[in-house]
Amino acid sequence: MTANAQGVSAGRTKAAARGGGVDRASRSRARADGESMNSWKAKLRPYLFIAPLVILSGVFIYYCIGFTVATSFTDWDGISDEMDFIGLKNYAKLLAPGSVFWTALKNNIIFMVVTVVIQAGLGLILAVILKERLPGSNFFKAIFFMPIAMAPVIIAAIFRIIMDPNVGAINEALRFLHLDFLAQSWLGDPKIALYSICAINIFEWMGFSMIIYYAGLMSIPEDIYEAAKIDGCGFWNTLFRITIPNLSGTTNTLILLGIVGSLKTFDIVIQTTGGGPGRSTEFLNTYLYKAGVQQFNGGLSAAIGVMVLIIAVVLSIIQVVVNNRANR
Amino acid sequence: MKRKISTTTIMYVVLFFFLAIWLFPIVTAITKSLQVGGVESYRSVIANPDVHYFRVVFNSLFIALATAVVVVFITSLAGFAFSKMKFIGQNVIYVAMLACMAVPIASVTMPLFFTIKTFGLTNTYLGMIIPLVAFNALQMLLLWRNYFDGIPNELIEAARVDGCSTWRIYLRILMPVSTPMIATTGVLTFVYSWNEYLIPLLLIRDETKYTVTLASTYFMETRSQTPEMVAQEYAALILMTIPSIIVYLISQKWLQSGITAGAVKS
Repeated sequence: MTANAQGVSAGRTKAAARGGGVDRASRSRARADGESMNSWKAKLRPYLFIAPLVILSGVFIYYCIGFTVATSFTDWDGISDEMDFIGLKNYAKLLAPGSVFWTALKNNIIFMVVTVVIQAGLGLILAVILKERLPGSNFFKAIFFMPIAMAPVIIAAIFRIIMDPNVGAINEALRFLHLDFLAQSWLGDPKIALYSICAINIFEWMGFSMIIYYAGLMSIPEDIYEAAKIDGCGFWNTLFRITIPNLSGTTNTLILLGIVGSLKTFDIVIQTTGGGPGRSTEFLNTYLYKAGVQQFNGGLSAAIGVMVLIIAVVLSIIQVVVNNRANR
Repeated sequence: MKRKISTTTIMYVVLFFFLAIWLFPIVTAITKSLQVGGVESYRSVIANPDVHYFRVVFNSLFIALATAVVVVFITSLAGFAFSKMKFIGQNVIYVAMLACMAVPIASVTMPLFFTIKTFGLTNTYLGMIIPLVAFNALQMLLLWRNYFDGIPNELIEAARVDGCSTWRIYLRILMPVSTPMIATTGVLTFVYSWNEYLIPLLLIRDETKYTVTLASTYFMETRSQTPEMVAQEYAALILMTIPSIIVYLISQKWLQSGITAGAVKS
């Protein structure tokens, strides 16, 4: 039976190859599909190939999202099976003027702008230098990229000790240099704690921007640079007139990934400040975690989750559109 | 010529300046951990009666490896279907899957905890592996689909004419030519799973199931600031990081290609 079906398929392939006006891509896709398009087995096959992923990932995540949306309208405590419908009360509490939610959102946005700009700026500078392939550049690249392989929560822990006002290495170094007035309670002062967290994040993720810019630089054709050289373009002129404009697609991707990354930030904050002092470093995720896990307010926690999900899904869609456009 | 040399000097100055900043935390951690009592701090971390160092490393290794194997398998299968087959609902399902790519695990904290608890999977490896697979698979699906889109259809057609079934085409033709992609997605998933903190934080109470990320916070809980305790904290953090650095040294190339493949396609 199989042999027969294959014979049919081979004949069809030839016939299709002869046929003119049909769209080439869709034709070969259809052919790759199986022996006989009519058999229900062949029709079912693609679904069998995607089933493990759809069940393990899609169903799981969508179930969690549905659960979050449903419980956001209740007074669930996060542990018991009991919950009562309370309408939009959680959202009203969340969105009331001056609520913690707005503080957390503001912190998320400040964090996002500071880290995205500095990571992209430093990453670009280092990528441009590394592209010159100076002796030893692979070593530098490896060191700058290494934090990505290390757990954010462990890096944050190291910085928590380093930034400690008493035993921390930063203040020790400043005192050693007689710059005592610069010594700070880096994570304990509400005015600077958020920026200290930004610094830790930049340490962790700068290599990410660097490596992406590096790949982007490699894709700029060399003859553009040669032409610029012949025209007498200097280093800075080349950088601002050729390199940066040619990398605009890469920059857009990095901004998008930076926004997504800031929305996912949790480990560094919970390890260093836990959102404090006060609410000065509260992020959406730490607020959500504390409301649900520590304060047994599952409903409110879910409502924060819904707000985060709305932002996340919009960002994902933009990401897919950008990816498709780049792939075309 | 003279100008050329001065530019090179400036470049090295910049590189060494940032190198100093990037090495500062690691060098500080190493020197401080050895300052009081030398290797004694390391010995006392390894000898901790509640959280066994090698046990913790094994837990993380097992979870990250299992997650990577499952993710590579299911996303390469699905990537193949989405790229080379045609079926009803194809685009809708694909977009519906990728729409979750930016969903932070933290945003579904409560359902995650509650669901795993309902199935009785708290304090188990499986309880951690399932959410890790779910949340890592989406980005890898995107990578696999893009990768298969770049493989010529002729390769599959030729195999089809030779009488290969779809499953054989996947296993015998596509997988052997995809080893770089298997390595890339495997390493990326491994590293992301190894570094995950929130999932074990929510689901694990039993110290014998601690991962390195959870163990690192366990050793940070002593708020005492005696030089001995600080040295021991640094020692614990370094011990927890050593496996990551070994993995990084082995797999640097794949990690870099995974990260660039996910971001630049132009």
